[in-house]
Amino acid sequence: MPAEFLPGDAPQRGALSFEEQDFIDRLIASHQGQPGMLLSLLEEIQERQPHKYLPADYLEYLAARTGIPGAQIYSVATFYALFNLKPQGDHTICICRGTACHTRGSRDLLERMKLQLGLVPEEDDGSADKLSMTTPDRRFTLRTVACFGQCALAPVVEVDHAIHGHVNERALDREVDALRKGGA
Amino acid sequence: MPRITDLSSFNEAREAGLAKLLPPTPRIAIGMGTCGTGNGAEAVLQSFSDAINQRGLSIALARTGCFGFCAAEPLVNVWLPGKPLVILQRVQPNDTAAILDDLTAGRIPAGLALCRIDEWDHITGHVKYGSGFPEIPLWNEIPFFKGQKKIVLRNCGLIDPTDIEEFLAVGGYQALYKALIDANPASIVESIKAAKLRGRGGAGFQTGSKWEFLSKAKADRKYLICNADEGDPGAYMNRNEIESDPHSLIEGMIIGGYVTGASHGIVYVRAEYPLAVHRLETAIHQAEEWGLLGDNILGRGFNFRLQLIEGAGAFVCGEETALIRSLEGKAGRPTPRPPYPADSGLFGQPTNINNVETWYNVAPIVVKGPAWFTETGSPKSPGTKVFSLVGKVVNTGLVEMPLGTPLKTFVYDVGGGTANDRAVKAVQTGGPSGGCIPQEMFDTPVDYETLAQLGSIMGSGGMVVMDEDNCMVDVARYFIEFTHSESCGKCIPCRVGLDKSLHYLNRITQGKGTEADLATLDELGRMIRDTSLCGLGQTAPNPVLTTMRHFRHEFEDHIRASRCRAGVCEDLALSPCENSCPLHMNIPRFLQLLKEDRLEDAFVSVVMDNPLPASTGRVCQHPCDDRCRRSGIDSAVNMREVHRHIADSIYPSPRFPDLVARLSALRKPSTGLRCAVVGAGPTGLACAFYLRMLGHDVMVYDSNPNAGGMLRYALPDYRLPKEVLDREVELIKLIGVDFTFNTRVPADISLNELDQRYNAVFLAIGTWKENWVYLPGTELTGVIPALPFLESVSKRETVPLGKRVIVIGGGNAAIDSARTALRLGSGVTILYRRERKDMPAIPEETEAAEAEGAKIAFLASPHRIVGSPDGRVTAIEAVKTRLGEYDSSGRRRPIPTDEIVRFNCDTVILAVGETVDIDFAKASGLKISDRGLIEVDRYSLETSRSKFYAGGDLITGASNVSGAMGLGKKAARNIDKRLTGLKRWRDLFPKFEYDQAAPAHPSDSRRHHVRELEAEDRARTFSEATVGLTSVEAMEESCRCLRCDVRTGDH
Repeated sequence: MPAEFLPGDAPQRGALSFEEQDFIDRLIASHQGQPGMLLSLLEEIQERQPHKYLPADYLEYLAARTGIPGAQIYSVATFYALFNLKPQGDHTICICRGTACHTRGSRDLLERMKLQLGLVPEEDDGSADKLSMTTPDRRFTLRTVACFGQCALAPVVEVDHAIHGHVNERALDREVDALRKGGA
Repeated sequence: MPRITDLSSFNEAREAGLAKLLPPTPRIAIGMGTCGTGNGAEAVLQSFSDAINQRGLSIALARTGCFGFCAAEPLVNVWLPGKPLVILQRVQPNDTAAILDDLTAGRIPAGLALCRIDEWDHITGHVKYGSGFPEIPLWNEIPFFKGQKKIVLRNCGLIDPTDIEEFLAVGGYQALYKALIDANPASIVESIKAAKLRGRGGAGFQTGSKWEFLSKAKADRKYLICNADEGDPGAYMNRNEIESDPHSLIEGMIIGGYVTGASHGIVYVRAEYPLAVHRLETAIHQAEEWGLLGDNILGRGFNFRLQLIEGAGAFVCGEETALIRSLEGKAGRPTPRPPYPADSGLFGQPTNINNVETWYNVAPIVVKGPAWFTETGSPKSPGTKVFSLVGKVVNTGLVEMPLGTPLKTFVYDVGGGTANDRAVKAVQTGGPSGGCIPQEMFDTPVDYETLAQLGSIMGSGGMVVMDEDNCMVDVARYFIEFTHSESCGKCIPCRVGLDKSLHYLNRITQGKGTEADLATLDELGRMIRDTSLCGLGQTAPNPVLTTMRHFRHEFEDHIRASRCRAGVCEDLALSPCENSCPLHMNIPRFLQLLKEDRLEDAFVSVVMDNPLPASTGRVCQHPCDDRCRRSGIDSAVNMREVHRHIADSIYPSPRFPDLVARLSALRKPSTGLRCAVVGAGPTGLACAFYLRMLGHDVMVYDSNPNAGGMLRYALPDYRLPKEVLDREVELIKLIGVDFTFNTRVPADISLNELDQRYNAVFLAIGTWKENWVYLPGTELTGVIPALPFLESVSKRETVPLGKRVIVIGGGNAAIDSARTALRLGSGVTILYRRERKDMPAIPEETEAAEAEGAKIAFLASPHRIVGSPDGRVTAIEAVKTRLGEYDSSGRRRPIPTDEIVRFNCDTVILAVGETVDIDFAKASGLKISDRGLIEVDRYSLETSRSKFYAGGDLITGASNVSGAMGLGKKAARNIDKRLTGLKRWRDLFPKFEYDQAAPAHPSDSRRHHVRELEAEDRARTFSEATVGLTSVEAMEESCRCLRCDVRTGDH
């Protein structure tokens, strides 16, 4: 079983189960020496987590087994937008901030969602382009993506990996309401 | 699994594939790219599959990629043996039963057919589908595909991307076979060089040269990389190419490996493209099984491995050195070149990187030769390029065009222009590395060099069309925000420079910018461009530099007037409706006051914002309607009619004197300063009202015996009854504005005299001169200009009008003339040389004219007026026009044909536009623009002569009432600032306490329209043609407002 991360708990160090250690060992063996190894390892580890993130104990184990310095792994994990160091919500709403979506009002959708989910940016540096926020109850994560490449459907929102095209505020509200009720 | 080792096993596989593409039964193939599935293709497939199974039909069902016309998705290809392939558009699951009925009966569902394909040139192969269905247009006859040449997209949307046999059937791996049999790698490198194939990732470097470097490099292991980290927002051609035709990429890379001596290939794909990843994985696996990839390819002893790596969301990894660092397990930060990857790339080995689309051009060049390739495109940029045409165009999708095609072909011909009558403003090319090209430059051919000259780049081929609802400052800010957050942070110019640029751009969009900021932004941009380490930084300032170059006035509007015309920059507007209103009425406020049943407060709010609310409530062009957010739910709030209702409820009522007193109490104490306003039209009245309210003594001069200008003398009574106008003028008189009528400037009183007597003079004499068309026959009796005609009618003078009247023109004056002539008992035909949608008149007015019996001949350009021997009009001849190229106004130019139509008539009314009386302009001694208008400072409205201001049509040319009044209001503000040296404008306006909460739920009420009298009744009388909203309806309209002015959250 993957280590459960509870709000407020510090990740437990060295607590990886034998099963998880074995998973990582086999993963390393299948990618050893290949270009792009570290990216692929991190992608697969994150994908395995129910809350889609990279727990610290996994990264430490990975560093020990591959010999890649922990600092380098941390550097990679923080550099790329796809990696999360914090657990993500049960549902993910991802708003496309591509050019076509922007010209068709995706910023209003983003503002609307923040309001709907009661999310307040941790630090407002004026750049709402790259964002990932999770509600305190960990039900919802609101993210943005640079572009889904679905520009003809702009504005585009991905709700739990399903693409919705030509979205307006009302349609988005309905989606969120449905998720709220569905998971109650 | 069959391994292909020789020609006969190759041919066997091809035959098997062809049997799938052209089976003995009907075939249905559903477009299952991400665009298709995003539009519901999965459900369509399921529906077909269920129905075919249930009915036990013998129909082949397949999936295919995307044919590129995203706006018409889901696309479904249907084929009957011996017949052309027909592409159906916008297919929904409930269409499938009828489609199957048709196909089993040997028919094509005509209603859904988009186009047909008789045969298809796959470049490396050819498929003949069949003939028939002449009523369905050929694929390249419909506007979206016209002019497209599918080389890169040769297989997309026609074969099943997950079936290698279908790929083989259309000539797939043909080029690889040829390359390995010929066994002359150097000649292929030469071919690529001779074809002048340039890198399609954006920079446009010669691919053949890069391959030559790699082939000459000596090393144990060399790498080939396909850059599929398509990160430019607005570009998605690589996604579609891989999703729809993954094998062509693999084939191109194997050939590349063979000729450069590379044994390892890597495709670096964005993780945001899961379907592309999945399809490419499948294709790699298939190619390996079939002996086309891996060891001993085609039995020729060549080994090549291909690996797929998913990127993890970093835009900078599109830069080749950053991509290589990423593959090495590091953060994707670029490194300086040299060393170039061809010398020292991945893990220090020689490496070559090409964009996805570059690889797709390899097989066609190998099979067809470089001479064939250079036939297409421009001399320096041969071949085609795939563009993703998105944004504010009707036909969005992937467009493969020869390089060198002009931009306007993309926007208007292929894209079909904008959907909502908004004018196109610009096209953004090249994503965050590119720039915005203004509409005036749409003749620009799209190739590497020309775009670079305009400060943009071709980039990966994103083309985002923007219209007047898009703010160019916001666009610049958007891209800098993007590159700012994607900057890897390694070099200072990019990291710090973009941060500073964003800071200045944020200030400008918040209305806090200064002129100096523009200079700083320019300087910063150049510094970042010239000194950054990699392509990201070197191109990141392009969006700012090009928008500042081509749209400087928008930056200036934000800085000098705190104005965002597009209404995007929220901090500069109260609400979208307020921002669109030329008078900047606080619309949400008067709606809310009415909702709170405070009619008198609502009236004060309305009149203080717009001194002619009853007149404009009838005749305004209502730009607010187009901006109302409620139209996203059902339709816009009918704001114009609500302020008409408010005004109509007060003016003729006993409460009027109290409200005059209330307004007079708001008037500032007398300043003793004297102002003259020349022209008592709407512009002059607006200016006079505010100057008086600010405490100045105001005298209005007019050549006519009464006030109102065009409202009184050009607008017919059925649109604006004179008593309505009289009451509004009465109010303006009651607050203390004085009038001198029947006095001409400068004939009766000169500008010098005005200068001596007044502290400031505002000129607003409008455009009373009718443009004259130079046609044979205009000298005949019975040819009359529109304005004098309308003026005579409104002055109740007798007008000699024939029974059959022709009106030439398509503006409001033309429609007013037509409806007036109808009311005088004539039959009316309007001649207009363009299409209906190009008419400048208010659409409701045109519809009303038609309902009343006016005929309109579109695409008819007057040619000559025919007269009788005694010099009277007897007929007019018009040349039928057809629509040609798009002109600089974004409308299609009417081109005369040989066809001439004759209309018998006895009167011709010319309504082709009004202009400033040039004699006045010259006599004034003021500076005149090229268009014959009075020149003023855009922000202060001051003319070339001190103390003299001008506004309205006199400075803009013929426009509309509210626009002109807006300028009168603005002039009053500037005159007062100049006279008193104080900024006291805001103090003039009373404060109201009213509810500041947005409605929890939008009200259920639909939009209320005014009631029109029956056409046959109203067409015989000059009484008002519409009846305003009732109190209940006006109240319900107010409740429909969503209160965009209420700020919540972090605002």
